[in-house]
Amino acid sequence: MSAIAISSKYVGGRRDVKNIPAVIHPSVHPFSSDMFNSMSDTEEFRVLDLKQKKQTPFRRKFKKQDVMPPRTTMMPVDQDWGNVWPGPRTFHPAVVPLPVRQGYNEKDAPPGKFGNAELMKIPNFLHLTPPVVTSDYCHSSPDIRNPLARIVTIKVKLGRLPLNKHARDKILRLVGERYNPENDVLTIMTDRCPLRQQNLDYAHYLLTALFHESWKIEPWESEKSEADMEYYDWEASASRKSVMRLLSWSPDQDAVQISADFILSDLTEYKEAISKIMNEGEEEYTLNRYKEEVKKLLSLQDVSSTE
Amino acid sequence: MVYNFFKNLTSEATLRGISSVLHKQRLFCTAAQASQILATNEKHITSFRTAESNPLKHNFDHAYRFYTIPVEVKNQLFQHGGLPKYFNEQAKAFMETCVMVRDPALEILHYLKTADYSRPAIRYVIYGESGCGKSITLAHILHYGLTAGFLLIHVPWVPNWMRVCKEVSNSATREGYVDLNLDAAEWLIHFKNQNAALLNNIDLRVSKEYAWSKREKTEEGVPLLELVEHGINRVKYASECVVALVKEIKLHSTQGRCKTLVVIDGFNAFFHPRTRVVTAEKIQVPPSKITLTEAFIEITKYDWCNGAVILTVDKTGVADDRRESFLPIYQLGKEGFEHLDPFVPISVREYSEKELESCLDYYVDRRWLQNEKSFTEEGRKELKYLCGMNPRRLMHVCAPL
Repeated sequence: MSAIAISSKYVGGRRDVKNIPAVIHPSVHPFSSDMFNSMSDTEEFRVLDLKQKKQTPFRRKFKKQDVMPPRTTMMPVDQDWGNVWPGPRTFHPAVVPLPVRQGYNEKDAPPGKFGNAELMKIPNFLHLTPPVVTSDYCHSSPDIRNPLARIVTIKVKLGRLPLNKHARDKILRLVGERYNPENDVLTIMTDRCPLRQQNLDYAHYLLTALFHESWKIEPWESEKSEADMEYYDWEASASRKSVMRLLSWSPDQDAVQISADFILSDLTEYKEAISKIMNEGEEEYTLNRYKEEVKKLLSLQDVSSTE
Repeated sequence: MVYNFFKNLTSEATLRGISSVLHKQRLFCTAAQASQILATNEKHITSFRTAESNPLKHNFDHAYRFYTIPVEVKNQLFQHGGLPKYFNEQAKAFMETCVMVRDPALEILHYLKTADYSRPAIRYVIYGESGCGKSITLAHILHYGLTAGFLLIHVPWVPNWMRVCKEVSNSATREGYVDLNLDAAEWLIHFKNQNAALLNNIDLRVSKEYAWSKREKTEEGVPLLELVEHGINRVKYASECVVALVKEIKLHSTQGRCKTLVVIDGFNAFFHPRTRVVTAEKIQVPPSKITLTEAFIEITKYDWCNGAVILTVDKTGVADDRRESFLPIYQLGKEGFEHLDPFVPISVREYSEKELESCLDYYVDRRWLQNEKSFTEEGRKELKYLCGMNPRRLMHVCAPL
């Protein structure tokens, strides 16, 4: 429709109102010289190309390249995943044989794994599958070795070590709060060396040293006094002395002394009561027990007995 | 004439059948409230009051009830302290000193009555949260001691010496020791006030000669009161006099010439390492370096008989670093515990329901609670929750009502 053919027969003839545009561009004047020249060569009238077709520049056609189907389709079921995904890298849909979806679609399922930027943005741990991971500390950074991985903790049940009363007391004093009395476990943690193996060796060394040190008896250990005792020892306490003196006291200095054995047989419960207060702490219950024992000791009558 | 007139009046009253009311009234109240008490129902009174003002006869039938300490007894016992300040003020407002007969006091009275006095003196340690009535319990026991004819060695509040002592001077006889002269003299006056009557009856004499200085000495064989008088008159030797007096009493007690009741409030103050007693060189003195301490440590030992020792431990009596718990072994510390062991711990607790009701009834009776809500069940419940059953807090809560 845009190109209008005008034959010479029609020159000066009636204008086809339908086909001829109202305005003729000056550059394509119908009576230009070359039009008349070519007219002499051919029989046919040449076509007057009023609106020349624009020459389109050559454009290479985009040809979609052939892509191999995703690797996942060809993966054997029993492949070694560690070889497929050996290190940390961005998610690749064709390599991961999993129907992963990530993102949000209104009124539709979450986008699949192909061309999914969300899946590429998030860090993944596909290089840290259980058969691959053998170290304690791994993380999704270029280096999977965490400096915390050097720390070594060993736990020993203290009851399993061959210790006597003295050695056990001494090892408890040496380890301090590394010992948990609730489950009888001694925990040694070493982190001073740069490598795990070195720390493990050091922990073993420490345990050995502790064990042998606790069996040693130093000359100054004989100077242990009541305040140094690990638990309240009534037999060696000032309380025992004062009770003995009180029980054997009488207004006349040369009165018959009650024998110590006789007294001691009566005192076991008192001893238990006072040791309980000292070892377990003072509270209403232990104090009441102490009171009852003291009342027995001093032969005081119960209030209720007279009521 | 006048006496006869009253006698006739009373007998006439008996005939009229109102004797019981009048009789009760005479027993338990001062004249000021006579008309008021008369108007009140007698049955109602007996629910919170007991006419038995003789602590010798107190037993568990009188529990939770108030008894009146007679004015002359109060003057004799508590002239120089012994009752808590606010309690004393309240007693003044009530125009009578009423003390509730409570379980811990009854328990100790029971022990005092039944104990074997030929055996070493038993140490009782009263403990409890502050404001629960430890000092009032002591007051009750003191009254018992007085009535039962005990010689009283009573220290109203030990921390007074350790905190607000009146005068500090270096001891002349003991190296490194410090005397609190005025406090010691004050205590001697207190002792004399409490025991003069008894000491005039039983003849206690000084067992050995005390030489105070070149010219002054107390001869062997003079009455014990003379030793006390010497301390009061020669304040310089008051502290030494207290030590000597206590040793003498211990000796007499052991030999059976007298029975002694030692009552010390705030005893744990003797075992706290710090005091506010400062020497002229601005050096803080520990309690063990105060002469008075020695006297009262001496009398609380086990090595004497015919006596009983009743102590309280109070966390308000010591500095902040020992206020975590009111329990006695913690308050006494290691040294104090070893000194007193074995002792009988006696706990003074908050009011029970019955005791609280009784106390509120008493306050209503004294017109101390005038707010009409205090008669209702609801009002009482509110008071109960406000004070948390603590007697002192109840007193403070009720004061403006």
